[in-house]
Amino acid sequence: MSASTAPGRLVTPAPPPPPTPARRARRRRERGLAYLLLLPALVVFVTFVFWPLVHNVYLGFFRNPPFPGLPSKYVGLDQYKSVLTSQDFFDSVKTTFLFAILTVPIGIVLGLGLAVLAHQQLRGIGVYRTIFSSTVATSVAVAAVIFGTLMSPAVGLLPWLGLDTNPPILQNPDWALIAVALVTVWQTLGLTFILMASGLQSVPDELFEAAEVDGAGAWSRFWHVTLPMMSPTIFFTVVVGTIFAFQSFGQIDILTQGGPLKKTNVLTYYIYDTLQRQSDPGKAAVLAVALFLITLILALAQLRFLERRVSYER
Amino acid sequence: MSVDASPAPALDHARLQRTPEQEVRRQHRRRVLGKVARYALLTFLAIVILFPIYITIVNSLLLPSDITHRPPKLFPTDPQWSSYADAWNQGHMSTYMVNSAIVTVIITLGQVLTAILAGYAFAFLEFPFKRTLFVVFLATLMVPFEVTIVTNVATISNLGLYNSYAGLAVPFLATGFGAFLMRQTFMTLPHDLRDAAALDGYGHWRFLWRVAVPLARPAVAALSVFAFLAAWNQYLWPLLITKDDQYRTVQIGLKQLQQTSIDQVNITFAGAIIAVIPLVILLLFFQRHLVRGLTAGAVKG
Amino acid sequence: MRAWRRWAGAGIAAVVATAGISAVVLSPTAAGAATSTSCPLTALKKASGPVQLTFWHSMTRANEQTLQSLTDAFNSSQSKVKVNLVNQIDYVQTFTKYKAGLASGDLPDIVQLQETDQGQMIDTGTVLPASVCAKADKYSFADFLPRVISYFTVKGTQYAMPFNTSGPVLYYNKKAFTAAGLDPNKPPTNFDEVRADAQKLKANGVEAPLGLKTEPGFFEHWRGLANQLYVNSSNGRKGTATKTVYDDKVGLQIYTFLSGMVKDGLATTNPDLGSSSFDNLLGIRSGTHAMAFDTSAALGTISSVLAAGNDPNIDLGVAPLPGPTANSKGGVLVSGGELFMVNKSAPEKQAAAWEYLKFLDDAANVTKWAIGTGYLPIRKSSAASTEMQTYWAQNPSYKVAYDQLLDGPTNVATSGSVIGNYTGARDAMRDAENSMFLNGTSPQQALKDATSKATAAIQDYNSRIGG
Repeated sequence: MSASTAPGRLVTPAPPPPPTPARRARRRRERGLAYLLLLPALVVFVTFVFWPLVHNVYLGFFRNPPFPGLPSKYVGLDQYKSVLTSQDFFDSVKTTFLFAILTVPIGIVLGLGLAVLAHQQLRGIGVYRTIFSSTVATSVAVAAVIFGTLMSPAVGLLPWLGLDTNPPILQNPDWALIAVALVTVWQTLGLTFILMASGLQSVPDELFEAAEVDGAGAWSRFWHVTLPMMSPTIFFTVVVGTIFAFQSFGQIDILTQGGPLKKTNVLTYYIYDTLQRQSDPGKAAVLAVALFLITLILALAQLRFLERRVSYER
Repeated sequence: MSVDASPAPALDHARLQRTPEQEVRRQHRRRVLGKVARYALLTFLAIVILFPIYITIVNSLLLPSDITHRPPKLFPTDPQWSSYADAWNQGHMSTYMVNSAIVTVIITLGQVLTAILAGYAFAFLEFPFKRTLFVVFLATLMVPFEVTIVTNVATISNLGLYNSYAGLAVPFLATGFGAFLMRQTFMTLPHDLRDAAALDGYGHWRFLWRVAVPLARPAVAALSVFAFLAAWNQYLWPLLITKDDQYRTVQIGLKQLQQTSIDQVNITFAGAIIAVIPLVILLLFFQRHLVRGLTAGAVKG
Repeated sequence: MRAWRRWAGAGIAAVVATAGISAVVLSPTAAGAATSTSCPLTALKKASGPVQLTFWHSMTRANEQTLQSLTDAFNSSQSKVKVNLVNQIDYVQTFTKYKAGLASGDLPDIVQLQETDQGQMIDTGTVLPASVCAKADKYSFADFLPRVISYFTVKGTQYAMPFNTSGPVLYYNKKAFTAAGLDPNKPPTNFDEVRADAQKLKANGVEAPLGLKTEPGFFEHWRGLANQLYVNSSNGRKGTATKTVYDDKVGLQIYTFLSGMVKDGLATTNPDLGSSSFDNLLGIRSGTHAMAFDTSAALGTISSVLAAGNDPNIDLGVAPLPGPTANSKGGVLVSGGELFMVNKSAPEKQAAAWEYLKFLDDAANVTKWAIGTGYLPIRKSSAASTEMQTYWAQNPSYKVAYDQLLDGPTNVATSGSVIGNYTGARDAMRDAENSMFLNGTSPQQALKDATSKATAAIQDYNSRIGG
């Protein structure tokens, strides 16, 4: 039935030939091969992604001793209740969301802006493109070490730039998270730029020219041509960027260790601190379950609400 | 987009009063100013973005006492290259770089291999639960790594792989992103290719390695670069799973270096530059592949 | 049709197998740990070939070099034992990895931990106490400093071998004092004098006269100087501590002093962890501060930093830590690290570890260690030796912490506290101090917050232990 409605198809395709023993054997081999090809990846995923996910739920039912060797105590849902209703947990979730809000939109706006600027036909634009994408070579640790030293009150540059605060920025409960977000935005700018730039490249130039012919100014061209055509890329970057923001860890470990006064205690750091410093795998597992559910709901919400606003090429 | 009848532009009296030569010169000046403004903006942004790296390189070549000099020295008039040697030797950066190199290569090979195999299966083979399994692969992207650490640390310890190259690499030998990318890329290859190869007697294995992969080289290159980047820059897992300098990777080593060189910040900065150099080299050579591989089917959605 | 079922079955079986293996593989190894009551001295004689020991330590730079040279001397002086040093960079990582090792079986034979990890280390039940071996080997600790021995004696047993002991001191810039009209040889000895001197320094242009590191340990030293307890059960030494006891007049006096200094611009703070943890000392170098509280163990580093900078405006002075009141009835506590023998090792390794520790704590080696690192000589004969006396004559700054440790009585208050969850107790103290400095919380409220959070942390730990 579908054949007659699909454009370009004039003839209904012939039904597939009945399966002969030879064909059945071939298909069996094909299936076997398929599963064999998928097996290595699946083993890794089951052992290191899905099993831990399930096991976390189980671990959350136990109160652990401060170090291995002593028995764990089964407490049912009590640990879930006490951890997930604690002030520390609420604060951590709030901090994580705040951090995502500080990094994702700004990163995308900057990346998109740089990509548009670097899309011009100027001589030597390639040099600028390379510079704008340069931070992709830095890691979270490198960026944190560099900025941590630059923002340190003793050897840093902030006083010279007139930007120092009292107490110093990384120890300042009001500014520490913003400082960490700034470092993150800088570090991810290279990748965001590359994503935006490649998305921009796939927008056909004819559209820009047509708009220019119609008398559309630069801003109007951006709003009515660039942005809609870029929406799949932007959407992709928003989803991926949010996932990355929720997984941020290295910069916090190096710059603030969750402080000052727990103001940068994002959920990932909270999990790490609970697992390593407090040696409390049960509580860490509860927090991990919470992190997973939050990330999942957020991603699904984004997929639902944002995808509607994305316009695809016909 | 049709051209609507737009209202006639208002009369530009100033323009009407200029001679054609004046008008040409005016437009020319405007264009030059516009270009200058654009270059100025681009240069300003480039300086802002590069400044932290620039100041890191400068400070790595200064004496510790010069670093705290106010106003800060923006150019090393007497470069002290010894900080790099110090970071390399006393700072153990040499060991860290070797460890990172080994682990990164293992992870990159693993990810690319499993991605090619899985991508081929999804693109060219028919089997039950194919769609379900593909969703399973993609679902791994939804699970933040921090969620798995509680169990993964225990698993790796129990397998006896704590503090080893295997322990550092094994959890990352496959990614859903890689399989996705390779599947998309393989799917852009024309179907007749497979049929023609089958007629020539090419089994799946030969077709995969002799035809499909060579044609998918941009995507393989892009995936390799991504995998290398991600593996080189890993932080949390090496932090959890290494306990001494023998296996520490460069990112953790850099943190270590920062803590032990508090009064010799030039060494810390030198270490940061050392950590970045391999990636800079990698990206200089493969920048084009990155972009091409990405646009080869993934980003378009 | 049956083919795909076969393959699907195989796939499911593989998945289940992996899950099953993981489940089995993840069951925690039953440790069944208990502190040793006997020392296997004879095992070493029976051992054939050199016994290899692994020693996890956290010494860096000059200290690491000194430890290495002492260890090399031990290794080359006999052929029965070979000690291999493994540097874990910092105490926190060392203990974390030790605890991970309790599950994986990857443990050292000797481990150096910080003084506050003593309580939890004892609770793991994996210690071969030094006093047990000393008794079996007829080894005497009489020559050691009494406060050092009393710090490491818990419920009648001395678990650790003392090694790198330091103390809290006041670092100050003599030239800045002179410039402000203060006597550089009469540094402040109590809170009131610190405040008065700071005011004079500030009037003379020093931006923030006191560099105040938010180090929770100082509060404990001040409790010791005031001859007051920190936790109950005789500071956790006669029984298990169950709550903090410092929400009293002395506690409030300390908090009021600290918060007042910061509020009145006489001090700025820096964290005790992370890359800014030396900013108080670096501030003396840059002239921002003229005074700072810190550990005597940092003297070597700060001296070399200042020497390299060759700054004519700085003349570093070292003085005992100023106490809350003018005539301290108590004394400072022992800081630094200590060495534990692990009883999970084979008997000959335990015996070998004891031999190595006796070597490190031999009077001559204690002298070498003290001179090479700046840690205190923990034996009286080492302090009295010609080498030490000569060294102190040339470097009088290094003698300050030693004299301070001899000052005052040796009792439960000056022996410091033993707490299983020291991390939790100190986190509570740090958070409370920070809320005073960064959020403007009142000293009374901050003190209450500290005690309630610390007590909660202690009780949480006790319940997890099963006590």
